[in-house]
Amino acid sequence: MKRRKHLSQRLTQKLEGIDPISDTPLSDSLDRNEEAIRQAFVNCTDLITRKFYIYRSVPCLAVYLDVLVDHALWDDGLLTPLMSFEDNETDSSEQLIERLKGHLPSVVIPETTRSLKDAVQRIVKGEVVLFIDTSIEALSFKIKDNLQRQLDEPSTEAVIRGPRIGFIEKLSVNMALIRHNIRSPKLKMENVVLGSTTQTETAIVYIEGLASQNVVDEVKQRLAKIDMDSVLGSGYIEELISDHPKSPFPVIQSTQRPDAVSASLIEGKVAVLVNGSPLALVLPVTFWFAFQTVEDYYINFLFGSMLRMLRYFFAFLALSLPSLFVAITTYHSEMIPTSLTISLAAAREVVPFPALLESIIMEITFEALREAGVRLPRPVGQTISIVGALVIGQAAVQAGIISAPLIIVVSLTGIASFLIPNPNMSQAISILRFPLLLCAGTFGLYGVSAGLMAILIHLSNLKSYGLPYLTPVSPLKLTGLLDVFFRAPWNAMYKRQQRVKDEMELENK
Amino acid sequence: MNLRRIGLACTTLALYLGLLTGCWDRNEMDELAFVMASGLDLADDGELETSLQIALPTGIQASDQSGGKKAFMAVSEKGKDGMDTLSKEQQQLSRNINLGHRRVIVIGEALGRNGINQVMDTLLRSPESRYNSYIATAYGTTAKEVIKTPYLLEKIPAVGLNNIMEGNFSISVKTDEFLDGLATYGKNPVTPGIRITKDALGNPTFVLDKIAVYRQNKLVGFLSDEQQKAFMLYRGNTQVITWSLQLVPPKEEYKGTVNIHFLKVRTSVLTRMAEGKPAVDLRIKTTCRISANDTELDFSRPETLALLEQKYEDELRKAVAGVVSVSQQEFKSDIFGFGRKVHIDHPYVWKEIKEDWNEIYPSVPVDVKIEVKIERIGRTQAPGQLMKY
Repeated sequence: MKRRKHLSQRLTQKLEGIDPISDTPLSDSLDRNEEAIRQAFVNCTDLITRKFYIYRSVPCLAVYLDVLVDHALWDDGLLTPLMSFEDNETDSSEQLIERLKGHLPSVVIPETTRSLKDAVQRIVKGEVVLFIDTSIEALSFKIKDNLQRQLDEPSTEAVIRGPRIGFIEKLSVNMALIRHNIRSPKLKMENVVLGSTTQTETAIVYIEGLASQNVVDEVKQRLAKIDMDSVLGSGYIEELISDHPKSPFPVIQSTQRPDAVSASLIEGKVAVLVNGSPLALVLPVTFWFAFQTVEDYYINFLFGSMLRMLRYFFAFLALSLPSLFVAITTYHSEMIPTSLTISLAAAREVVPFPALLESIIMEITFEALREAGVRLPRPVGQTISIVGALVIGQAAVQAGIISAPLIIVVSLTGIASFLIPNPNMSQAISILRFPLLLCAGTFGLYGVSAGLMAILIHLSNLKSYGLPYLTPVSPLKLTGLLDVFFRAPWNAMYKRQQRVKDEMELENK
Repeated sequence: MNLRRIGLACTTLALYLGLLTGCWDRNEMDELAFVMASGLDLADDGELETSLQIALPTGIQASDQSGGKKAFMAVSEKGKDGMDTLSKEQQQLSRNINLGHRRVIVIGEALGRNGINQVMDTLLRSPESRYNSYIATAYGTTAKEVIKTPYLLEKIPAVGLNNIMEGNFSISVKTDEFLDGLATYGKNPVTPGIRITKDALGNPTFVLDKIAVYRQNKLVGFLSDEQQKAFMLYRGNTQVITWSLQLVPPKEEYKGTVNIHFLKVRTSVLTRMAEGKPAVDLRIKTTCRISANDTELDFSRPETLALLEQKYEDELRKAVAGVVSVSQQEFKSDIFGFGRKVHIDHPYVWKEIKEDWNEIYPSVPVDVKIEVKIERIGRTQAPGQLMKY
């Protein structure tokens, strides 16, 4: 920890050494200002400085980064009106600025700046800074180009009956998407800027009165403590604002769906949006949250409940099926029905490895195949599935290196891990599968139960912003249970608000 | 997390681990010899001879294609006791003997008649051997022969034996029930009796149509035919028994017999003290279905049905009373467990007589009453071939 802080300090110092801009006030000479700006942006070919006259007589200088500015708006909304102002009376520069503020079209709102550093900051954010001769103030206009992609259906969290819209990489759009869902002035969005170099805008979103003030304050505090020079996505800060960064289990949920975030906000949770990342962070969350999808609430409650129980069951399989297989076949062969024992023994007959080693090899192979499939471009991905299915699956069995029942176990485990909707939870379970497998290989079922117990103890130790991770199962909240193992019909869940408040009281203690 | 908390967590975990139980012996499945059945015999020189039937997994899997591979092997050794022979057998085998899947234990007739106490302990001491394997007694042959006999319907003969007993096609006695009979005063054990025969094509096979009767730890004889059927009726083991009856004298066209299946059997044993001695009332209520009718009678008529029920009650009473008297006079062995019922009903009397029960049992009066109710007559009308006009 200490070492890390040291490193980050060194990095900051180094960057400050590079940074040529000192916090000096602007000069009243256009040339001197231009010189200073040019020095700050040396070797930046996209910097445009443009000299022109207002009232046909007052010289001024517009400075902006070509690539960030909306050219149409700049031409029609600013440059044309500025240049066509009539020469009424010769004012002092202060009066001139005041008059300009009042006469400009409504789409561009001017702000004033007095320091060189601030001016540079505004330029890198995509604003146009207008220096006026003889004035120590400069005007700054937000005419950013809306560089963004189309709103699209999130590919990772597809639904059948829900809205087909997902967050994108632009913070303002993401904020707008939430505002569209919750039309209330109680929906608060507070901005924080993170990253000393990247200057990433970050928004803390919550509903006043529903979200616990403690949690909101805590989020602000933890965000304020972040000392990084770059924040390029929500993943960067997820670890830093989490209660348990060393635990494999996610204590912060990340989602790409505005409807999921809105639902969480209404439950009294807090969301953190980061510019440049299509994933919103939601907190505090419980363990059970990872097994729920927004889809559960859009479909019939019976089917939704069935899906949930299916997910819990398969999550258990994803965690423990290989270890149960190893434990039972190597330690407790009398537990298996006789005919199955004979088949398993026959399949193992030619296999040279012990069952434990065999399963570890196959599990690692599976994880490798999965990772390869995710990273590769789609056309190559198909090759991977052929290699995986035919070469590793079928050929390994035929060659007598791996036994066929184990292939079934590994693929069932793989399918089971895909059933967990939250990718972070899925990762946690994939990681824990291996120590559990070792427990099974060394101590049999005894080891498996010991391992599962260790995991359970760890889970009940976790907290997410004061909320015990296993709420409402432990500590037990009966009304909360309506939305954990099954999804109760809506009219039975109307005590939901009460439940959220209960949870909040718990935190405030 | 500081050191103290980690220490606390580990201690808690260790304490919880104490509540768990587990086995420590790791054995890969391809390093195990799965014993499917074992046989116990008395060798000529008075030593114990055991035989093991061991499944060959590859033979079972591969025989679809190659046909020639065997599905099981048998080993046999003589020795002083069970463990002695087992270790000798282990020396012949490249894999660890695993008794966890043993389905059947066969006791040779000679050993049974000699007494089986000495083998029971070695059978049951090992944690691997399970109390739910079936016990059977070889009739007129040795257990070794039974173990060696292949069975065409199943790849492993032990599975065949197991399925016959599990499917109630004979009486079935598991180890725990057998032990229960051995170790109590009020009951004597029985097992199914296996005899080896040949099927119509001349292949060797086995039949379980006998019931071996033990008196304490010694085999005293076998029940067969009508006695066996009556005993199975008493045990409610009616899956395979049907009962034919000569209802009317045979005629030219009809043989005059009726056959019934038993649907439900309810047995109750009542005991009472008569002149200071225990007496038993055995009541069996059964509901039946007519499964064959080779007479002219029309059972849809109530009076005919009543006649049939009456006839069956007499017939079955005779048969059951017959088994009771065989068990009393010939075997002097309480295979019905009447003594246990006396124990429950008259505990103080039982305390005094329990040690002499085997001597008292032959003279205990047993009153048998059977109630037969024909519930279904199979056809709603008279037999189809009857002349109607």
